[in-house]
Amino acid sequence: MRDFVLVHINGVPHRIAAPRAFETLSRFLRYDQRATGTKIVCEEGDCGACTVLVGRVEDRQSCLSASEGTEPRQAGLPVLHYRPINSCIQFLFQLDCTHVVTVEGLARGGTLTPVQDAMVRCHGAQCGYCTPGFIMAMAGMYECTSHPTVGDVRAALTGNLCRCTGYDSIIKAALEATDQPKIEEIYPSAPIVNAIKQYECDAVRLQGLQASEPPSLPGGQEAGRLGGFFKPNDLASAIRFKSENPKCVIVQGATDFGVWCNKRGFVAEAMMSLDGIEGLGDVRHEDGALLVGGRASLADFESAVRGIVPELVPIMDRFGSPQIKNAGTLAGNIANASPIADTLPFLFVTNASLELTGLSGTRTVAISDFYLGYKKLDLQPDELITRIIIPLPSKDETLRLYKISKRSHLDISSFTAAMLMRRSDGHVDSIRIAYGGVAPVVLRLPKTEQFLTGKALARETFAEAGEIARGEVAPISDVRGTRDFRLQLAQNVLQRFYFDIA
Amino acid sequence: MSAVGKDVPHDSARGHVTGESIYVDDVPPLFGELVVDFVWSPYSKARIVSLDLSEARKLAYVYTHEDLHHNRLGPIVADEPLLVDDGLCTFRGQPIVVVAAETRAAVDAAKRAVRIEFEELKPILTIDDAIAAQSFIGETRYIRRGDAEAAIASAEHVIEGVFFNQGQDHFYLESQAAIVQPGENGAMHVLSSTQHPTEVQEVIAHLLGLQMNQVVVTTKRMGGAFGGKEAQATHPATMAALVSQKTKRPTRIVYDKDTDMHVTGKRHAFQNRYRVGFTRSGEIVGMKVEFFSDGGAYADLSPAVMARAMTHAENSYYIANMDIRGTVCRTNTPPNTAFRGFGGPQGVATMENVVEEIAAFLKKDALDVRRVNCYGVETRNTTPYGEVVPNNTLPRLLTELPERCDYRARVDAVRAFNASSQTQLKGIALSTVKFGISFNTKFLNQANALVNIYLDGSVQVSTGATEMGQGVNTKIAQLVADELHIPYERVTVMITSTEKNNNTSASAASSAADLNGSAAADGARRIRERLDELESRIGKQETWEKLVKAAYHERVSLGERGFYATPRLDWDWTSGQGTPFLYYTMGTACSEVLIDRFTGDLKVLRSDVLMDIGKPINPGIDRGQLVGAFIQGMGWVTTEDLRYDEKGVLLSHSPTTYKIPNINDLPEVFNMDWIDVENPINVGGSKAVGEPPLLMAISIWCAVKNALQFVANGDIARLKLPATNEEILMRLTEYAKRGAAVA
Ligand SMILES: Cc1cc2nc3c(=O)[nH]c(=O)nc-3n(C[C@@H](O)[C@@H](O)[C@H](O)COP(=O)(O)OP(=O)(O)OC[C@H]3O[C@@H](n4cnc5c(N)ncnc54)[C@H](O)[C@@H]3O)c2cc1C
Ligand code: FES
Ligand code: FES
Repeated sequence: MRDFVLVHINGVPHRIAAPRAFETLSRFLRYDQRATGTKIVCEEGDCGACTVLVGRVEDRQSCLSASEGTEPRQAGLPVLHYRPINSCIQFLFQLDCTHVVTVEGLARGGTLTPVQDAMVRCHGAQCGYCTPGFIMAMAGMYECTSHPTVGDVRAALTGNLCRCTGYDSIIKAALEATDQPKIEEIYPSAPIVNAIKQYECDAVRLQGLQASEPPSLPGGQEAGRLGGFFKPNDLASAIRFKSENPKCVIVQGATDFGVWCNKRGFVAEAMMSLDGIEGLGDVRHEDGALLVGGRASLADFESAVRGIVPELVPIMDRFGSPQIKNAGTLAGNIANASPIADTLPFLFVTNASLELTGLSGTRTVAISDFYLGYKKLDLQPDELITRIIIPLPSKDETLRLYKISKRSHLDISSFTAAMLMRRSDGHVDSIRIAYGGVAPVVLRLPKTEQFLTGKALARETFAEAGEIARGEVAPISDVRGTRDFRLQLAQNVLQRFYFDIA
Repeated sequence: MSAVGKDVPHDSARGHVTGESIYVDDVPPLFGELVVDFVWSPYSKARIVSLDLSEARKLAYVYTHEDLHHNRLGPIVADEPLLVDDGLCTFRGQPIVVVAAETRAAVDAAKRAVRIEFEELKPILTIDDAIAAQSFIGETRYIRRGDAEAAIASAEHVIEGVFFNQGQDHFYLESQAAIVQPGENGAMHVLSSTQHPTEVQEVIAHLLGLQMNQVVVTTKRMGGAFGGKEAQATHPATMAALVSQKTKRPTRIVYDKDTDMHVTGKRHAFQNRYRVGFTRSGEIVGMKVEFFSDGGAYADLSPAVMARAMTHAENSYYIANMDIRGTVCRTNTPPNTAFRGFGGPQGVATMENVVEEIAAFLKKDALDVRRVNCYGVETRNTTPYGEVVPNNTLPRLLTELPERCDYRARVDAVRAFNASSQTQLKGIALSTVKFGISFNTKFLNQANALVNIYLDGSVQVSTGATEMGQGVNTKIAQLVADELHIPYERVTVMITSTEKNNNTSASAASSAADLNGSAAADGARRIRERLDELESRIGKQETWEKLVKAAYHERVSLGERGFYATPRLDWDWTSGQGTPFLYYTMGTACSEVLIDRFTGDLKVLRSDVLMDIGKPINPGIDRGQLVGAFIQGMGWVTTEDLRYDEKGVLLSHSPTTYKIPNINDLPEVFNMDWIDVENPINVGGSKAVGEPPLLMAISIWCAVKNALQFVANGDIARLKLPATNEEILMRLTEYAKRGAAVA
């Protein structure tokens, strides 16, 4: 058992113990290390100014922006795989046994790397505040590909906002930097991996902070009664810890947790990471089902569905950003229980189920039974989501997914919908419909489903179904849209569906 | 070997890409530094019933208005208290108490310990409410020519309507920030993220009871500003300076993004009534337009913003009889302020909307209506306020762009598409802009610059221009290099400091490079004249370095202060007439959009922009301004949706809910170009480019309106700005219902 985390930053190892380990990475970099190239703007993952690369020893790697796919790597000693993440919603304790590369770590010896040089030449930086984040996101893109397309560039830079340039010059720069070195060439993995290997097998335990301790962390956050952190290396210890700490938060990607902390002053009573547990990170395709591990990232989920559920690809493409998907997990998206979580309508219509593991073993719950009310789950205090089981649509089923948001990319949905239909001879044999953003939980629409069953595929039918659907939902008005807007979407999307499949 | 006209990289680009560029909050903490923050009114309007600071004072330094020498500020009229002083909070976000301590945590604890009891009052939150309550800032102003009433009354056709646009948050990435270091004898040294160091200096001096010569304000760079740091960088800097004055310790204030969005002013929402009379060929014979802007709680720059809206009311079109009125409404929102375009976008959007409606009414192509009304080159070229439009390239632009982008054929294709598609709708529009360059306030149109040549031949230039990414320092260095006949690399533009340049104007109104570049060129030119004179005496020197050495030995001054005052400007509000602008930057843009009939989702398929920006000093930097401004304008007219609740609480106060354009929102086809013409009246033959291209994005909004026109059942389609997917779907639904009712 260790009482510190080991984090390499730009090649240099740091052993970081409590309370410092409870800092966000961005604050630690800026205010402790005084590496101020990494910027903080929103502190909620929505602007990308804080983007850094995190290298982990991984058995699999997904590349979000690679039209050409992952390049093969040499066998032998494991290497580090680098992915961009938002350092403002990533805590040091999550980064045990990783290598963080910041903008300061690229131009070693004063020579700009090609992405940096191209950004200078193409006028890709105006005020410059977004620039380090873009540089790191581009470097992340070049980890996966050497000849990106415009589409790859847009996908890779979705998570970075720039208010000055209008992006055109940035895209140009990103395309020009084709000889960008891999991070491996700047920081050979071997010494870092060797250092990590010495510690990897240890569980980590960080003491929480008592109210009597000084009220401030080095970066200045208040953490009066902060609970401790545990990174077990087996499932049994995880479950034991969770049963002993019923209010324990699994801090996996922290893409929800980090926002609660930064924006709502949330203080956890106990925290745990599942990073040390083998097997929970996989995504497997078996017997017509997709099996997603309890800590599998959204990025891995996305690359797994790419070949097998094409309808989900555009939705995952618009889900958050590469930074968010690299950190966030499917289990987290499910456990966060937001009625506008983008994966849920899909999981509802495919009749996905969750494997929950607790002190008394494992049980399976249908996703439609998992949500008991707004943010209320059928999940016991000792239980974890260990696997998500998604029966894949068969050849004779038609799947359609919709995400309506104010901005097409990197925006939380105003409304979501999924339809899975079986048809024959121009008739609806059966249909499952799920809507998000119209009630405290994602809804199936039984009346509309029933109405459509057996009906001919005709525009009028779906127009009428839309009116029924409108009656089945009760949306509210909020910042993402008025009730009227959502009601209209609930009605119209069925006609949209008709035209998409007709 | 001219540097002007060359595509040299931004002078900070290297620092930007390596993370070495220093912004305010990147400066390491000074010894003993205090974190400064403030407690603000949580209500749009409220009376302070009681204020108890006793607990807070145990935890931190705490100050109120009583600690200030004066408590009124404002760039035009000093009507705004820095800290609430009469017990009445008039906007949500208004500072009441300043708090400072060594750590963020202690500041937060002290803020929580400030006990304020409020009595909530009913606020004025909309332009309609303000008009009903006759709550205005200043007087209604007028620009009139001819007899608009009579012309409209006798016109063949008349339409009227109300145009509404929302505000826009600046969303500079670096939020408001300042660091203050107290000096000897009460002096202050301030590092501020401001477009206007002199205003920060003046306000700090006044409010803290100092002379201006005791306050030095410096600005290295801003992480974006867009007008938001013209008047409103003053508040944070002054609060920090107050604490430094009281404690004799360095202080730092840095807003977080949410606070910044809650408490600072934005682009003005406008609600404009118009009546326009026109002939069957679409020629406008008379127009009356009444502008109402939401000024917020205090004047700030609102009257000047209104002036620019009014002087852009006719945009590119000659209107013989015009009656323009402008009234600033006083509401209980943060004082609205400068934002790239400065009222111009609101005026121009109103007019472009009218042109689209005339075309819809007459069932003509809107380009033809634009052509009929466009300002002439020799005749029909006087604005309603009496300024002659010089070197008018609008007719040329209106001929060239349609050809280049195949406008006519695409209009036909859009019509055909809409007739056949049951699921989607297209729209296309070609809009124009004529943007006046110069501050509307005459005395602001001046600048000074300091040029110092060192013994090794290297050059430092200091001006009042502030660098916010627009590349003004790079352009100034290029101009100075050419005046001195030396390579660009020998010139460095220094940190902006009120110690080097006094009584400067804000870097605003697109004219920072015009004014400061002219002043710097003036200084350099005068040194060069002395050097030429020296060479005529002692003979031509082989190199620049030798020439500089020789000048030093001959005791010829190697420093100079340049000065520039824009010629011939003049403006008179009593008549609403004058020559407020030196020249106009002009442009045309054509955009085509695709709309989902069921969801209202909007996609910009293509935008072509063609402008007259003179001869660019730095084409790469100017292209960056064109593209950046266009996309920022696209945000304003599409996805940037400031939503408030019924009490005036801003709900979209961070990038999670406030959606500026993302890299995926760029038009699928995007052509940005300019025509090759010199602007004889300005430095280097150039034209200002900072703001005008933002207005080119109005073409996108017009294209949405054009699309809706296809389903409006013969009525004139109405559309608010921004055209969010929700706004579009609501309009589509309304027209579908009305269509069904008619059928
Ligand atoms: C900028 C940004 C953009 C986003 N965009 C989208 C979007 O487009 N669409 C969308 O749907 N969502 C979006 N999200 C939210 C999405 O990232 C999260 O819901 C994510 O999936 C949560 O995963 P995580 O691993 O980060 O969870 P964490 O934040 O680490 O944890 C969240 C919650 O899940 C619980 N949890 C995690 N794993 C388990 C487990 N195995 N068993 C039991 N409980 C568990 C935790 O206890 C915690 O309560 C966005 C978030 C951000 C910050
Ligand atoms: S600071 Fe905006 S994403 Fe991290
Ligand atoms: S360069 Fe200013 S935000 Fe991108």
